[in-house]
Amino acid sequence: MPAYKLTYFNARGRAEPIRLLFAAAGIKYEDVRIEGADWPALKPKTPMGYLPILEVDGATLCESTAIARFVAKRAGLVGKDDLQQAKADMIVDGMKDILKKLILMVLEKDEIKKEELKTDISEKTLPEFLSKYENLANPSGFFAGDSLSWADVDFYNLIERVRAMFPGDHLKGKPNLVKVMANVKANPGIAKWVKERPESAF
Amino acid sequence: MPSYKLYYFHGRGRAEPARLMLAAAGLPYEDIRLEYEQWPEYKPKMPMGQAPVLEVDGTMICQSVAIARFVAKESGRAGKTNIEQAWADMMADGFVDMLNKMADYVWYEEDEARKAEKKKTFFDTTLPEFLGYFEKLLVANNGGGGFFVGDGLTHAEAFFLCLSDDIIAEKPNVLSPYPKLAALVERIKTYPGIKEWLAKRPQTPF
Repeated sequence: MPAYKLTYFNARGRAEPIRLLFAAAGIKYEDVRIEGADWPALKPKTPMGYLPILEVDGATLCESTAIARFVAKRAGLVGKDDLQQAKADMIVDGMKDILKKLILMVLEKDEIKKEELKTDISEKTLPEFLSKYENLANPSGFFAGDSLSWADVDFYNLIERVRAMFPGDHLKGKPNLVKVMANVKANPGIAKWVKERPESAF
Repeated sequence: MPSYKLYYFHGRGRAEPARLMLAAAGLPYEDIRLEYEQWPEYKPKMPMGQAPVLEVDGTMICQSVAIARFVAKESGRAGKTNIEQAWADMMADGFVDMLNKMADYVWYEEDEARKAEKKKTFFDTTLPEFLGYFEKLLVANNGGGGFFVGDGLTHAEAFFLCLSDDIIAEKPNVLSPYPKLAALVERIKTYPGIKEWLAKRPQTPF
């Protein structure tokens, strides 16, 4: 039985998709959350100087997407063949653009610029993204094949983050995406984790 | 043998890692290079309205890293174990981070002063720190005389070559503090399949 040790800050952030996948598969892991003050000492020991990292089987992995894909493989949630796996990969990568814009907006200190970025996201980027993704999900509510994959879980996590910043029913008129969210929430491991996970600011 | 069509523009850009892996695999494909005027007609047909796109027997895959990884898998060059695959993935993602940071100032920053500032920060601080980590990662793989992961070329090398092409074009001696990385660039360039592709690929500004 391999031991998994996930290290990140005390936040959902870039580690949460990984934690959701561990939960979905019922895989036990050590959920290490470090204080900011402890980071400088740890940084040079990480593969590329940032978190999250996953220690497993004597190896250390970084890059949240690479880690999530690795856990998804161990959990049987990557997709059934190379093409399905590629579909899941492209769905996950396609979300990086909008996530980047969300983060830039959050970090923007100039209030006027921040409002401009917010408007751009809520009126342009987000609706366009959701339209594209509605067409990429199937009517059963899955992005890759016809069963739950890490692409669905990642999408769910993104929408939760979006809702926290932009309240509203963004999935109105998007039945495929509504089903994706329902499929993910229906996973007992995920439902339990979401209820019990530590509170954190982001 | 599936049919492969790769759609992109006249450039290396985000399609080149896939082209390198197709070359390494010896897989024939249609290397479709669209004119910008053609793009409005093709855009709605693409899964996310973007290129590159790889069409495999009619199924379309987008996102450059997903494409490169798929092609790598087709010839067993994506890593032999789950851990090796994750290492190749993490390194490819790391190189894409750097390529994106370059793209930020090359393509997306219009203010000349800010452009110059961002470029300086990239070459003085961001890139050296990053390359330092990667020299270490390469050396950790059996002394660094081979490849990043296991004992063969993976998609990690494809993304690394694309990044080193761009950074060396700006600063020819940028890899001299990182001898193992510099030697790896030469090994990739002479890799069977890739060597022939590099000799015949169209010369383009990006």
